[in-house]
Amino acid sequence: MLEDDPLLEAADATLAVRARDGDVHSYEVLARRHGPLMRVYAARLLGSDAESDDVVQDAFLTAWRRLVDLDEPARVRNWLMRIVSNKAIDRLRVRRDHDDVDSWDPPAPQHDGPERVVEARLQLDAMWAALDKLPLDQRRCWLLRETADYSYAEIAEALDLPVSTVRGKIARARAFLITEMEAWR
Amino acid sequence: MSIDDDAPLDPTDEPTIDGQTVERLSDYLDSGRTPRDPDIEGSAACRLYLRSLEQVHDLSRASLEEAARREPDRDGAWIDGLLASIKREVVGGRDIPIHHPDASVRLSVTEAAARGLVRRTGDAQAGVVLGSTTFDGDLATAGAPVAVRVTAAARYGLDLEALADELRARIVDTLTRHTGLTISHVDVHIDDVFVAREDDR
Repeated sequence: MLEDDPLLEAADATLAVRARDGDVHSYEVLARRHGPLMRVYAARLLGSDAESDDVVQDAFLTAWRRLVDLDEPARVRNWLMRIVSNKAIDRLRVRRDHDDVDSWDPPAPQHDGPERVVEARLQLDAMWAALDKLPLDQRRCWLLRETADYSYAEIAEALDLPVSTVRGKIARARAFLITEMEAWR
Repeated sequence: MSIDDDAPLDPTDEPTIDGQTVERLSDYLDSGRTPRDPDIEGSAACRLYLRSLEQVHDLSRASLEEAARREPDRDGAWIDGLLASIKREVVGGRDIPIHHPDASVRLSVTEAAARGLVRRTGDAQAGVVLGSTTFDGDLATAGAPVAVRVTAAARYGLDLEALADELRARIVDTLTRHTGLTISHVDVHIDDVFVAREDDR
C-alpha cells in the first residue's frame, strides 16, 4: 500500500461500503487497520498465539463474504470483532470435541514480576499482565463481555456454560482486575 | 487457578459497596448510568467503585490495542493470504454489453468493473473519496437508461454543491466513454466530511 493512499484516512464506513461493492483494496485497508487488534484479541481468547493468525484470516474471509449483511457500515469494527469471537469459539469447540478438556489446559502464563511492571510504569502493561494472570476461562468470559460486547446469555451459549457460571467468572475476573489495577489509580 | 471456579456465584458471598452489590454496579455502568440511581450516585464509595470498573473496562481494550501496535510486522502473512483468497472469489455481477462497430464482436464489462471505474473516477477528484456505487436500470440491454447512485466523503471546507456537480459530470463522462451505458442521471449523496491530513478516522 502506498503511503499517500487517500483511503488510509478514509472512515471505516466509507471503506466498508466500498468493500461491499467489491473493492478489495478498501477491504485490505480495513484489514490492516483492525486486523492487528483482532489477532491479539483472538490469541487472548484462545490462550495461545499459534492459531490466532488462522482465526483472524478465516474471520476476515467470512466477513468479506457477508458484507451484504453489514447493516451499519460505521460499526464495521464491532461487527468484525464478533465474527472473530465466533471463529475463536468454534476452535475452542473443536478442541473440546477432540481432546480431553483437561489435557488442553494451557501452560501457566509467564507472569511478569511486579518489579518489571512497575519499572515500565505503564498502565497498559500492567493491565496486559493482569489479563494474562486470569485463568483462561475467566479471561474468555471477560473479553467477550468487555471487548466484544457479548451479553451474559451469549457468552453462556458460546462457551456452553450456565449463565450463572458465566456471571460468576466475570465477577471474579472483575474483582481480580480491579485489585490488580488498584495501584494505578 | 482459583478454587471452585465453576461454581456459580453465591449471592450471599457477593461483596457489596455501600449496600450495592458489585453485580448491580456493573450492570448500572453498562446501562450508561441511566436511569440515574440516586442511591448509587449519592455514595462516594459507589462512585469510586464505578470509576475502578470503568478503568478496567477501558484498559482491557486499550491494552490489546497497545499489544497489537507493538508487533505490526506479524500481520503481513495472514493479510496476504486473505487477499489471495478474496481475489479468487470476487463476483463480477451483471454484464454490461458494449457496442462495437463490428456486429460479430460481442464485448461487455461486468457491473463490478463499472463500479470500479466509478470509484477511480471519484477518487481522482480532489477532495473526494467515493463510497458506494449503485446502478438502477436494465444494464443488460444496450442503450436502456441507467441511473447511478453514489455516496462520497468530501474534504471539509469545499463547496459541496460544486463538488457534487463536478463528480456527477465526471461519472457520466467516464461511464459513457468506457461502458456505453446511457446514464439518465447521477445521484450524489455526500455522507461524510473529512479533514485533510488528519490521522483520525
